[in-house]
Amino acid sequence: MFVLKNAWKSVIRNKGRNILIAIIVAIIVATATVGLAIRNASSQIEEEGLQSTTVTAGISIDRSKLISQAKSSSSSSSSSSSEKPDFDSMRKQLSQSSLSLAQYEKYAKASSVGVSTYYSEGTSLDSTTNFQPVESSDSSTSSSSSNSSSSNSSSSSSSSSSSSSDSKSTQGGMGGPGGMASSGDFTLTGFSSDTAVENASNGAFTMTSGKVFGYTSSSDGDVIISSSLADFNDLSVGDTISVKKTIGSSTKTYKLTISGIYKNTSTSSTSAQGPMGGTSQDADNQIYTSVSTLEKLGIDSEASNADDTGTQLSYTYVLGSDDDYNTFVKDVKKAGLSSKYTISSPDVEEYESSLTPMKNLSSFTLTFLLIVLGVGAVILIVLNLFNVRERKYEVGVMTAIGVKKPKVAMQFVVELLIVTMVGLGVGVIGGAVAAKPLSNQLLSSQVSSAQTEQTSQQQQFGRSANMGGAPGSSSSSSSGSSSASGAPSAAPSAPSGNSAPGSSTKATSYISSLNATVNLKVVGELVLIGLILTLISSLVGIIFVMRYEPLQILAERS
Amino acid sequence: MTDASTQTLDATPEVPATAPDAGPTREGIPVLSLDHVSYSYTKGGKKIFHDLSYKFESGKVYAITGPSGAGKTTLLSLLSGLANPTEGEVLKGGANLAKLDRYRFRSHDIGVIFQSFNLLPSLTVAENIILSIDASGKKFDEPKKDMALRMLERVRLKPEYAGERILHLSGGEQQRVAIARALSYEPSIILADEPTGNLDLSTQDDIMDIFKTLAHRENKCVILVTHSPEVASQSDVVFQLAALRKRRPATR
Repeated sequence: MFVLKNAWKSVIRNKGRNILIAIIVAIIVATATVGLAIRNASSQIEEEGLQSTTVTAGISIDRSKLISQAKSSSSSSSSSSSEKPDFDSMRKQLSQSSLSLAQYEKYAKASSVGVSTYYSEGTSLDSTTNFQPVESSDSSTSSSSSNSSSSNSSSSSSSSSSSSSDSKSTQGGMGGPGGMASSGDFTLTGFSSDTAVENASNGAFTMTSGKVFGYTSSSDGDVIISSSLADFNDLSVGDTISVKKTIGSSTKTYKLTISGIYKNTSTSSTSAQGPMGGTSQDADNQIYTSVSTLEKLGIDSEASNADDTGTQLSYTYVLGSDDDYNTFVKDVKKAGLSSKYTISSPDVEEYESSLTPMKNLSSFTLTFLLIVLGVGAVILIVLNLFNVRERKYEVGVMTAIGVKKPKVAMQFVVELLIVTMVGLGVGVIGGAVAAKPLSNQLLSSQVSSAQTEQTSQQQQFGRSANMGGAPGSSSSSSSGSSSASGAPSAAPSAPSGNSAPGSSTKATSYISSLNATVNLKVVGELVLIGLILTLISSLVGIIFVMRYEPLQILAERS
Repeated sequence: MTDASTQTLDATPEVPATAPDAGPTREGIPVLSLDHVSYSYTKGGKKIFHDLSYKFESGKVYAITGPSGAGKTTLLSLLSGLANPTEGEVLKGGANLAKLDRYRFRSHDIGVIFQSFNLLPSLTVAENIILSIDASGKKFDEPKKDMALRMLERVRLKPEYAGERILHLSGGEQQRVAIARALSYEPSIILADEPTGNLDLSTQDDIMDIFKTLAHRENKCVILVTHSPEVASQSDVVFQLAALRKRRPATR
């Protein structure tokens, strides 16, 4: 009580000095608050990020490895004047390496953690006279014919490219059949389950009329088409459409029944790229059906291997969490997956790359925090040293009139504690107010620096990615991979893994906002920091007081 | 001179024949005594006292006199428990002070008026007094503020001084505050180092009256360290310290 009373009085008496100390503490604490809030928020994001959501994964060929092998083997033979120097050899390499449906399923069974799977198969179809694709360009009438004629040539290339895009779409296409091969008029996509439909590459849709097809053989031949396509051809639920497909040299016509008409609720970038990627890439020209329909028609991925139907398989594993994914990767490797393949999860990869700026910020914050605390401690010690020396006389009087030294020392500590706590309170409030905007500003600068790197990539490949192998003019070392992915048209919505640098048309959406709020944990840590700082800095005072001999007061002549 | 110092070393109290007051009216009880006390600042170093024995009784005003360098202030520090004797004991009512809680002794049993007053300049007069009351840990029924005012009245300072800062006071006023502080927690021993050093004659008499009242009416033991003959003459007992440090080389 005596100590508290005196400490409080002393604090009140020395306003100027104590306000100065409180301000310094407040600045230190405010900085620490922001730092701790950022670290807290980011560690929370890192820990919880993918724990609660499912993670999708796919198996892909390490294409950059294969391509670089192919390139190095053929670099001497390829002439600089050739537009497409060595695609064939590269595609050959790639086509030999694609996995079949059975293989995918084998790995799913090898997993020790619960894994559900879905897949979709996509193939291109051509229009018939009574069923035309939606086209926005003026030359739609002529292009339909020229398109079909060009599709003859492209289908031959698609046969060779299909397998390469197969692997590509698997790798990128967790969201459905990412890359459709040749530029037909329509894309017919078979889905294995509702989950697969949900993850369709063109995003979510709603049914405007009718129902989504079933997955059993009883609903074979049922398809759903986009409302634009239905309107364009004046079709409604229950109508039959006929489409053509050229396999090798023979052309087959298929009849399909419209069981429903859908409308995309979220448009992906595909529709915007419609004219560039051919009409089959237009979101409106997507025909959805079940896998069993494709099987029945004989244009599924198994048939593709035999008949060159250009059907691509996109197989996706769904795992419960980030941890399950890591286990799955181990299990699959144990099950004998060749090192040519990589297991990747765009969810995890994208998530992790989206964390990069945040992690940078977090480590930067830690360094900064330690520096601030160190400097703060030194400043406080020095201030306290001067303070105590200045109050030597006071210590002498107090001890001479019989106040015990520990009490005097305690009074000094309590004084500093009062001041520190006031500074702490102000600092926490200031820091709490500043934490969110400041952390987001810091993060955004990190994000923008990370995006600058991506932008350069995007500018090089993003726009030309759908140009059907055109970017052969680029003589940079990455031209091979860019055209390899360019020829079978990139999956627009598929975030690329590291193995396919050219195919990214979408910047990774970095975590650009941190919920750096000050919670009880942060406040607790700050109080702890405050106490430690106070104790360290008052240690000087304690030592001074304890070493003071009251006899010295007789030598103190003020 | 030689006689006086011999007397002192034999620790024979010298009761001056010139004591103006009637002297102690009742037999005093020894409250503080020196028992063969020697003191040196460094261990094995030069001794300031050698084998000093003396008894201070309650109800008397003692004047410790002696030339500069005789160790008056050192004796005060021993008596106030600021320092421990190198040899011998300072006894407080029979108990060795060195073994007692000397902080409690200082805050509780003895009121020291330092030569330089040692008041805290950042505190007001009343705060200085209350600080000592608080430090003593004694419980009083009266509010501390009232006690402080009463003490000021006793040293003949006006109540409006209570709120003044120490530095706004003259030397004589500070002296009175220091006395008021020493008296505030009602110690049984009052120890003063040159209590009249800064005061003019009339104030000196004033202060001496206070000390005499404390000793004779309130039965306190008042020990004054002084080189003033007036103060010594007004005291009940004069304890003369020899100039030990000066004398020793002379005898050798």
